[in-house]
Amino acid sequence: MKPDNRLLTILALLAGLLFLSPVLYSIWMSFQTATAYYTGGFEFTLDNYGRAIGQYNFARYLFNSLLVSGLVTLIGITVATMAAFAFARFDFPGGNLMFGAVVATLMIPSHISLIPNYLTLAGVGLLDTYAGLILPAISNGFAAFFLRQYIRGIPRALDEAAYMDGATPLKVLWRVIVPLARPAILSMGLYIFITEWNSYIWPLVAVGDQDLYTLQVGLARLYRINPGEGPIDWPLVMAASTITLLPVIAGFVLVERHLVRGITMGAVK
Amino acid sequence: MTSKLQSTLAISAFALLASATSASAQVTVEFWHSFGGSSGEALAQIIENFEAANPDITIEAEHVGNYEDIVTQLQAAIPAGREPDAVIMEVTRYGLFAERGILTDLTAYLEADPLRDELYDFAREIGVYNGKNYIIPFNSSTPVVYYNKDIFDRAGFAEEPSLETFDDILAAAQQITDELGDEGVFGIAAPGQFARWGLVMSNDSNLIDPQSGEVLLDAPNTIEAYEWMASLVHEHEVASVDNVTDEDTGGDAFLAGRVGINFASTGNYGSAREALGENLVVRPMPCNKVCSVPIGGAGIGILESADQDVKDAAYQFMSFAANPESNAIWFSATGYMPINRSTAEQPLAADALESKPGIDVAINQLDFAQGRPRPPVVTWMRSSEYDLWQAMALGQRTVEDTLTEFAARTRDEADRLAR
Amino acid sequence: MLRKLTPYLLALPLMAFIAVFTYIPILTSLDLSFREWDFMSPDRPFVGLDNYTQLLNTHEFWNALRVTALFAVISVPIRLLLAIGIASFLVRETAASRLLRGALFLPSVTSTVSIAVVFSWVFATDYGMANALLSLFGLPKITWLQSPTLALWVIIIVNTWKQLGYDIIIYIAGLQAVPTELYDAAAVDGGRRFHVFRRITVPLVMPTTYFLLVVSVIEAFQIFTIVDVMTQGGPAGSTNMLVNMLYRIGFTLFDIGQGSALAVMLFVLLIVLAVIKSRVLGRKVHYEA
Repeated sequence: MKPDNRLLTILALLAGLLFLSPVLYSIWMSFQTATAYYTGGFEFTLDNYGRAIGQYNFARYLFNSLLVSGLVTLIGITVATMAAFAFARFDFPGGNLMFGAVVATLMIPSHISLIPNYLTLAGVGLLDTYAGLILPAISNGFAAFFLRQYIRGIPRALDEAAYMDGATPLKVLWRVIVPLARPAILSMGLYIFITEWNSYIWPLVAVGDQDLYTLQVGLARLYRINPGEGPIDWPLVMAASTITLLPVIAGFVLVERHLVRGITMGAVK
Repeated sequence: MTSKLQSTLAISAFALLASATSASAQVTVEFWHSFGGSSGEALAQIIENFEAANPDITIEAEHVGNYEDIVTQLQAAIPAGREPDAVIMEVTRYGLFAERGILTDLTAYLEADPLRDELYDFAREIGVYNGKNYIIPFNSSTPVVYYNKDIFDRAGFAEEPSLETFDDILAAAQQITDELGDEGVFGIAAPGQFARWGLVMSNDSNLIDPQSGEVLLDAPNTIEAYEWMASLVHEHEVASVDNVTDEDTGGDAFLAGRVGINFASTGNYGSAREALGENLVVRPMPCNKVCSVPIGGAGIGILESADQDVKDAAYQFMSFAANPESNAIWFSATGYMPINRSTAEQPLAADALESKPGIDVAINQLDFAQGRPRPPVVTWMRSSEYDLWQAMALGQRTVEDTLTEFAARTRDEADRLAR
Repeated sequence: MLRKLTPYLLALPLMAFIAVFTYIPILTSLDLSFREWDFMSPDRPFVGLDNYTQLLNTHEFWNALRVTALFAVISVPIRLLLAIGIASFLVRETAASRLLRGALFLPSVTSTVSIAVVFSWVFATDYGMANALLSLFGLPKITWLQSPTLALWVIIIVNTWKQLGYDIIIYIAGLQAVPTELYDAAAVDGGRRFHVFRRITVPLVMPTTYFLLVVSVIEAFQIFTIVDVMTQGGPAGSTNMLVNMLYRIGFTLFDIGQGSALAVMLFVLLIVLAVIKSRVLGRKVHYEA
């Protein structure tokens, strides 16, 4: 492999910054006062964040997004791993059919369930609740499929040895499979978390109570209704947008490799 | 001695009972409304007065958005069971909710209320659907013509031009755009939906026939009026496309002194006066073929799903909000018309009529104002009209094709809703 | 006995969620599409194919279909061409290429709403970045999002900006699967870069291209968020995509029957595309030109 060329690295850095410049500029703008922004100056302030978090309720939205995405990830990955284990390790009547049904969900566009899910949850009084946000997002066919393939790659001899020692299937799953499948579980967990964090249309229809808004819905609404009078307060909107972006960007920097691996594996399926 | 003891006991028992009932009678009414800015402050004042007079009732008011947003939110709230107890409903859009049994029939309440005879006839009429009362009037309006005198002066009008016909209006808007276009000033704001309806009426037509309920969207005079309105934007370019893609911006630009003429509800008087001061001039709507303006605004309805004690409390509030004192606060702050016959005698109202020129234009238009029908299909028709107006105003589709198809769909929709 | 039940118990939670929130809704949508309902009436009368025929008679439906198809037909090739070009530069594992890959990939995992909001500012008429750049060159302001001809292009640009990184990563994975000897051989032959690209790279990643092509088309037909935030389908319906129309009919006009009919039609369309995908990909997995 060729040694890293410093000039090329700098050029790449510049190209990357240029590509991301709208977002970078929006973050910069979020630290400016509105007057300075509109008159072309710069004046540092944290006031936009103060207002977004306080007056415009973004602390609550952040909490909601973390709670909902966190629970969806936790429950989603548990359910998917259990099912993946069943499909990978057990030969049971109906198993193939069930697995087929799981894989088929990858083809089913989500819009078809929008109205019915609304009605289902309304029927049991779960609209405008955290449960209403979480439940329809739990099943993730891709994660189940991906984990099943991964678990099949783990030598069966390891399970057998554990069964010899008298372990129950649950123990085998917990003690043998989960530790060995950790990289796959981690990248799928990340994938579920990001998908849920960014999810928009379902929280948009499922929740009317502002106290339950997620960041995505809160941000879209803040931008759309433009609470002040006169022109849009862009620095305020960008502070809210930065709050929405930052956790994912931070997570991305930490775990980019896992994510890329998960996504490319999905493509080569 | 014994009798004294007895009476003491009786009094304390009574006091105990009274305090117990008043504690248990603490009622909260969740109320959705559409008023922000200075109108929102006036409403908050009325609510505060009401709560001071009725300490056992709390009005939990929420600004949900505009009339259209309220309709949308309410429909979404019904299957979810999250509807409020009382809601502001625009006068043409509540028929659907009355028809579906969502709104409470308030006829008995109003019959028993002295308010019934205090209300002007035009105001009481807005609450009647199929012979029953479903909303109690709160804010009534007609559209008016606002213009900015400073802009007229700078555009070279030595005296006020006639603003009687569509041609007059176009000529004035044209002159402003020609003279001041370089400064980013437009002659006129593209009319919002309420004003569009009014302009259609001044062209001797309507969207729906008030008597027969027939859909008139494709009547020749309706088409002609829409053609004129659309031409302001895409042909003569005297109105900005921004007001077409976002109707609120037309009013904002007028307040900011970047538009010469604005057709809007008299309810905008308060904010316009605040922004433009003495430069604000108010004139009646044009009489292109006839003089005819729609009565708009909204009333407050009660949801059938609310508990009886909440309904009673909500009605008490609605009646309070329409009394002369409240109505005077509301009228002088916003410019919405007085709905109560005694409002004008209130010092606040008399003072506003005295010191706020033009606030009475809408009231004087009442001679040729008309109520509008409110069959269930109007809710659908008004929601759908926005996008079609965009297409026409931006010159994407011809007015005739668009309105012909729209009329047919509205008739279909009306049939479906009647099933 | 318990042993026999084990796999069922393990799979049960996932299967239950899938049944309730994915499969039964398809049937519910189908059922509702033959009915007339507005969320409020106590009954939902059966109206046969009325919802479908009425939908097919509206200008709005055909406009939304046309706009969505136009969006797919324009944006997908642009994405793929840019992606394969950029990927061929970034395939080597150097610090520079890793850095750039990271930057390009970042938007595809960040919030779509945020991106749409940021680009609403970029393309704002007043105080927007795009018009500020134009004014540097003395050019007049453009009303990007208020223009029926430009708004769709703005949506395409934003969507491309967001999705490009994903396409690039997939192409890089595809390219890295190509034996490096092929490149080395071409380089030794003194093949020029573009020549290598056209004669070797493009044919070799054909399977990846097929995959991305179909996935992106399916995705394009489901675009919603960017449009909802930036234009809500306007101006004058010029960016009104099928899912945005569905949302409007279902959750603004509350015509549940017609909304469901639209959902069913879009569903059938996307399933057909998905089936084509599995057919095509099944056949083209081998390296062939």
